[in-house]
Amino acid sequence: MRVVNALAVPLLLVGVWWLVSGGSFYLPSPGRVAAAFAETWFSERVLTDVLPSLARLAAGYTLAGVIGVGLGVAIGLSSGLRAAAEPVLEFFRAVPPPVLVPLIMLFAGIDNAMKVAVIVSGCVWPILLNTVEGVRAIDEVLADTCKLYGVRLRHLVLRSASPQIMAGLRQALSIGIILMVISEMFASSSGLGFTIVLFQRGFQIAEMWSGIVLLGLIGWGLSLVFRMVEKRVLAWYHRA
Amino acid sequence: MRSLYGVAGLLLLMEAVPRLGLVDERFLPPASEILRTLGGQLVTAGLWAALGETLLGWALGLGIAFCAAVAAGMVIGTVPGLRAATNSTVEFLRPIPSVALIPLATLLFGASLGSTLLLVVYASFWQVLIQVLYGVAAVDPVAVDTARSYGFSSWTRMRRLVWPSALPYIMTGLRLAAAVAFILAITAELVIGSPGLGLEIQIAQSSGAVAQVYALIVLAGLIGIAVNVGVRTLERRVLSWHQSVRREVAA
Amino acid sequence: MLELIDLTKTYQGRGRTVTALDRLSLQVDAGELVCVVGPSGCGKTTLLRCVAGLLPYEGQVRVAGRPVTGPPEHTAVVFQEYGRSLFPWLTVRQNVELPLKEKGLDRARRTELVTESLEAVGLAGAHDAHPWQLSGGMQQRVAIARAVAYEPSLLLMDEPFAAVDAQTRADLEDLILRLWQRLEMTVLFITHDIDEAVYLGRRVIVLSASPTTVLEDLKIDLPAERDQLTTRSLPRFAELRGHVYAQIQRTKQ
Repeated sequence: MRVVNALAVPLLLVGVWWLVSGGSFYLPSPGRVAAAFAETWFSERVLTDVLPSLARLAAGYTLAGVIGVGLGVAIGLSSGLRAAAEPVLEFFRAVPPPVLVPLIMLFAGIDNAMKVAVIVSGCVWPILLNTVEGVRAIDEVLADTCKLYGVRLRHLVLRSASPQIMAGLRQALSIGIILMVISEMFASSSGLGFTIVLFQRGFQIAEMWSGIVLLGLIGWGLSLVFRMVEKRVLAWYHRA
Repeated sequence: MRSLYGVAGLLLLMEAVPRLGLVDERFLPPASEILRTLGGQLVTAGLWAALGETLLGWALGLGIAFCAAVAAGMVIGTVPGLRAATNSTVEFLRPIPSVALIPLATLLFGASLGSTLLLVVYASFWQVLIQVLYGVAAVDPVAVDTARSYGFSSWTRMRRLVWPSALPYIMTGLRLAAAVAFILAITAELVIGSPGLGLEIQIAQSSGAVAQVYALIVLAGLIGIAVNVGVRTLERRVLSWHQSVRREVAA
Repeated sequence: MLELIDLTKTYQGRGRTVTALDRLSLQVDAGELVCVVGPSGCGKTTLLRCVAGLLPYEGQVRVAGRPVTGPPEHTAVVFQEYGRSLFPWLTVRQNVELPLKEKGLDRARRTELVTESLEAVGLAGAHDAHPWQLSGGMQQRVAIARAVAYEPSLLLMDEPFAAVDAQTRADLEDLILRLWQRLEMTVLFITHDIDEAVYLGRRVIVLSASPTTVLEDLKIDLPAERDQLTTRSLPRFAELRGHVYAQIQRTKQ
């Protein structure tokens, strides 16, 4: 029954897609997109375009995580620093991350460093702000208990702020994917975003769609991985 | 009071770093110059027109996505069996980054409002839909029993019970969607070239007007803040009956 | 007014079937106030939810001669969880008025009923407050006002005073007695409190432990006028209470 539930609507949608696509220029049939997908992405493109994109995403995201959590704990623990930094941080979070692409291009050109820097500069704010939020909200009773029993504060801080930190990391993940794609669309000669735009400009419609599907699969896969990690990290939180 | 120190400190830093030659002025103009440029921009008609385009795309896209998501969420959430049947589809479509649709938007609409709307609607739709589904599922069973025992029609139940119960969640969805919609509106302009603030930034960048790039980014940030503050104010107004702000459901 | 014949309710659990109500029969005449008591965990609330048309069941339930298939007409329910049964986004007045609107009454009649019922429960000044601004006892008064304004011929109450403090509880019990005498409705009152059942009821139905049947149908031969002090200190009150208590203790074993 669960399998039927999970598959019925997707199959229906593919069926509708198949019916609608007959003769349409912009929407090739599912079969043609699938064929284009196999042809385009089961090739050396995986090595030249897909994996480098993902590696940059991983590097930028990790760096943003380290910086965001580190700074966030420091700011969250000091009320003076927090009061001074908060409006500035709120401003940086409110800046739509994609506008940083042209800016960072000024500094870093259009190489790997620029793309990683773009991802870091967009991802770091939600992580930072959520960490500050989480650290600030640490239960006073818990903090006192820790002092009494000599438990190291660092342990307490990271553990008890982890729900908010994870929320920040989740927001950052979707921003990271957006920035990965945009930085390659904007100025690049390789990568996933670049390739898809190339197909679109060359009116290789089925290939373009296969790229959209691949990006969709990547987004879906990463969110799946994230949820599994989150489930483990926050097991104590969801059970409480 | 302290919060002013932070802003002042940042401005001072941004003034000093280029002045002292730590960073080339061609990359980072002093804060005073950025602000002066922003001031100069604010009196041009072109900037206001671009701003209008951006806000139009944002508001229109957010509005369409919001209405569609609320309608879809109410139906999916209240018709028995539909939630289970659509779950896999929603969970697959939701994390698809809307920027994946950029080539499609370019192909279908070119550099126009249509492209902006496609991206904005897709991105914000899921934010609202998920929250509506949480909200509908959170309707109190005792309240449902009460409504049934007084013989409320299904329309009354929807309007008087499900909608207000879900409203805190729906407002959370609107708040998240408003921020995402603004990001995507700017993105569409920046990457596809639809008219608006993003296009202005792209033009300034490619013509080497660095101070103007900074000025426009500052403006975009300020608008982002205004969007957040605006939606939060709306949220507080609409939920004034709500004694405590509910815990946020992670989206 | 209310007829239950062989009412049976079973729950399908994981691989096992739990019988909550087992061929339970009872009858309540129009205008009676009947209390139902039983050990905790017996199907008191299930019984009420079947009568209120909120749960499917086997056997027969009839209200005013008509078999119950959904929430019956002219029936109001007061739930234990007053905080969750009132709509927090509506004011007190709007909460009471909403079912009347749904009934299709005109504005003048609605205003009249709302004013009357809120006055009857002692909340004449609280029309524009939101439920959550009121104390627990006052919230339950609003729920009672909402039920009374609906002009039900049958009022079902599911442990309505279990979550309020003792002082408030006594006040609310007397409020129910007053309303019942004035409005000539039939009341089915579910409680786990033996004192409360004997004090309020003209009849007390004692239920057995699960699977639940009627253990005893006890007529309460106390004077019709009840008073918290004098009634409760009558020797007959103590006798009846002791009797019900013994019954319930026996069924628990």
